[in-house]
Amino acid sequence: MDAVRISRVNKTFGQDVVALNNVDLNVPEGELFFLLGASGCGKTTLLRMIAGLEKPDSGKIYFGERNVTQVPTHKREATMMFQSYALWPHMTVGENVAFGLEERGIDGDELVDRTLEALKGVQLEGYEDRRIDQLSGGQQQRVALARALVVRPKCLLLDEPLSNLDAQLRMEMRGEIRRIVKEYGLTAVYVTHDQEEALSVADKIAVMNNGRIEQVGTPEEVYRWPRTKHVASFMGETNMMKGKVDWIVRDNEEGYVVRAISNAGEILQGVVTDKSWKPQVGEMVVASMRPEMVKFDDSGDVINQVSGKVLQRVYQGATIQYLLKSVDGIYLQVSVMNPRKLKEPGEQVSITARQQDVVILKP
Amino acid sequence: MNKSKATIITVLVTLFFGYFFLYPVFEILKVAFQDGSENFTFDYILNVFTNPNYLEGLWNAFTIGLTSTMVTFLIALPLALASYRWIFPGKKWLTILILAPLVLPPFVGAVGVKHILGVQGALNAFLIDLGMMSANAPTDWLGKGKFWGVVMMNALHLYPILFINILAALNKLDPAMEQAAQNLGASPWTRFRKITMPLCMPGVFAGAAIVFIWSFTELGVPLVFDYTRVASVQIFDGIKDLSSNPTPYALVAVMLFISALVFSLSKLIFGNNSLGTSPRPKARYTQNTLTGFKGWLLASAFMFVFVIAAVPHFGVLFLSVSGDWYGSIFPESMTMTHYNDALGHPVVVGSIKNSLIYSLGATFLDVVLGVAIAWVIVRSKIWGRNVIDTLMMLPLAVPGLVLAFGYRALSQEGESFDFLVFATGNPVILLVLAYAVRRLPYVVRAAVAGLQQSDPVLEEAAQTMGASPRRTFKRIGLPLIGSSVAAGAILAFAFAMLEVSDSLILAQQTEHYPITKAIYALLSTLGNGHELAAALGVWAMIFLAVAIAGAFVLLGKRGGNLFKL
Repeated sequence: MDAVRISRVNKTFGQDVVALNNVDLNVPEGELFFLLGASGCGKTTLLRMIAGLEKPDSGKIYFGERNVTQVPTHKREATMMFQSYALWPHMTVGENVAFGLEERGIDGDELVDRTLEALKGVQLEGYEDRRIDQLSGGQQQRVALARALVVRPKCLLLDEPLSNLDAQLRMEMRGEIRRIVKEYGLTAVYVTHDQEEALSVADKIAVMNNGRIEQVGTPEEVYRWPRTKHVASFMGETNMMKGKVDWIVRDNEEGYVVRAISNAGEILQGVVTDKSWKPQVGEMVVASMRPEMVKFDDSGDVINQVSGKVLQRVYQGATIQYLLKSVDGIYLQVSVMNPRKLKEPGEQVSITARQQDVVILKP
Repeated sequence: MNKSKATIITVLVTLFFGYFFLYPVFEILKVAFQDGSENFTFDYILNVFTNPNYLEGLWNAFTIGLTSTMVTFLIALPLALASYRWIFPGKKWLTILILAPLVLPPFVGAVGVKHILGVQGALNAFLIDLGMMSANAPTDWLGKGKFWGVVMMNALHLYPILFINILAALNKLDPAMEQAAQNLGASPWTRFRKITMPLCMPGVFAGAAIVFIWSFTELGVPLVFDYTRVASVQIFDGIKDLSSNPTPYALVAVMLFISALVFSLSKLIFGNNSLGTSPRPKARYTQNTLTGFKGWLLASAFMFVFVIAAVPHFGVLFLSVSGDWYGSIFPESMTMTHYNDALGHPVVVGSIKNSLIYSLGATFLDVVLGVAIAWVIVRSKIWGRNVIDTLMMLPLAVPGLVLAFGYRALSQEGESFDFLVFATGNPVILLVLAYAVRRLPYVVRAAVAGLQQSDPVLEEAAQTMGASPRRTFKRIGLPLIGSSVAAGAILAFAFAMLEVSDSLILAQQTEHYPITKAIYALLSTLGNGHELAAALGVWAMIFLAVAIAGAFVLLGKRGGNLFKL
């Protein structure tokens, strides 16, 4: 069953700033669900709407079977962890964590036990009497998490929870948040603009752009089978080449495979990921291939083979990044794992990619 | 925040404000500009400017305002700069101490000054003792220099306002501004002249405008010094034949225009200029610690300013315990009888009770209205909340004298405020309203500042945790802004306790006198009137000291915020 269901939600700020445009979304129970997108794409607005801090202009929000669209924040049982943590400076760590329990009429031993247990859960045992300004950023983040978790919410909402931490701590806390959410068996909606964070932690990712949800899927699906150009480029480095369709290679229930010819005559062949779209012969399309899906090859295999010149080489230890310029004048990235032999700038090379690693998208 | 609640609050506060602030002001203007048959006329205003007495009074008031502001600036600027740049021994306490004169009643201090600078005063006695003056021909310092007496009393009372404003402007300054100039080779003096000072001008002018309006319309001090050739006193005297003569109205209108003009100019020129400031400077100015001789020198400079500002009040203290203080440096003998007499005196006891009732009532009204309206201004998104914000600041531009005059005129029999005065003539409601309206800006400012500093996310967090809006306000909103509101409330209370113009003009019968009017009345009583007035003044100061000390305890280490306007 879906823990949270968003149905045709619209939201406009002021006269013409469209924050959410007819958004539909289902968050399955017990999943760690990510809303991913660049700043201004509407992801935080959507999260705040689930929390009840914003009201939709139209559309409905369901928690399970219950329509909560008009239910005020404090009756939703959806606790939120804020980007700035929003810890109350006039209360101690313990008082901050106990707040939600007190509001639910819990007192006495249970209040104390559950507060201490929650602090223990985030590895802050013995910190209950500290003041908030005596904590480091990472500790504050844990208190905010404990405060949101202690009331055992129906849904945990996280608004860029790691953006105020340094890189090292961010890596640690990613795993920590996933562990805790899974341990409590929670449904969680997590907002971030960091695609790496989303790919490594999420059960499912919804990629947002301009107030719309462009694609929902597992990390692998959105990375390997992006359905739009925006998703393809937002999820990581990719090479995009334009071509004109000249043959529908395959056309069955498994989907379409399309061949297109670029300006320079290169043959681009790949899989169409957008199920609602059937390219026609003569239509312009874009072929997207990830740098690590491309390899150097001059065996004469004509499919997806591109010739060019090495412009630049960046050595990164485990991988080497090459920047090429194709015959057509297009810049291409190639990432090679730990090779024995390096290509030199200026060298003429050919690259190729397998048909199943190339995605054909609407231009 | 709930939009309908915000609208209700806005409408209620606007109505309150319109009826008890704008309407009286409007009524004064009506009388000043309408002749007998309700036609528009400039005659009464012209009367003011053609009457040599009124002209002189206005000119004196204006020059007192201007000179007081300049002297205030000369005192406040070095103090603010020193406090911004250096750390010195006892800085924390000294910075609070030099703010104290703001709540020491200058009107009471003036009584002390008379006994220090008068013909038979302490200064002359001292000079005669030193042999620098002939005992037969003592100088009448105040007789010659009433003007400068008023200026000094104003300046010594009001410099904290400017000090706070300049210091706030300095603290808002991005330290990188000065560092960049330093980096490009500017000397400290050039830096100050070309960078620091220009960037602080908005703060300086905001404070200076308030100081000017305050001293331009000051009533208490000139009254005690018998300085009758000043507009405020002329208006006060004009109240006696209010119904027959429109000229006092015209004079009030002129003072209102000048005040409003100064206030708008300071807002227009510097109001929205936030050049070079950052709301939260990334780096604070690194203050140098002055140790040893230099540090103590600076500390004593601060102490010196406080002592000078407090001299009049020491005079009051001496007067209140003096058995006989006439023609000597210090009182010849000490006695506590005035305190006993004062506590047995019906006017004195009644006035303390009255002042407490009036001031507490006004403060309560201010807190309720101020917090509600601040909430609307900061947290709601309703249309026109910026207009409300500006509206709430207007009482700073309208002299107390003007409002008191308006209330007085409107509370006459048959006028629209008549119902506010009981059949017995008890002005309690009128005074509470008058005190409240004029002190509302302090509470609104304080609450707005508190709300702006507390992130709305803190309240949203509480709501997602299951707290209803009401509970959220109680547990998160109020505690977070509580100290700011308390500070504003204490300031409002302190200013209400010392209020002069409303009190003198609106309280008619002895049993309704607040402290200030009681002091004024005692001063004109023969016998031990002066000593009783001084004793009452000391009582008033003790009350204020206790109130403010209580506030500091309440606010803990943030006590310094108490005086931030």
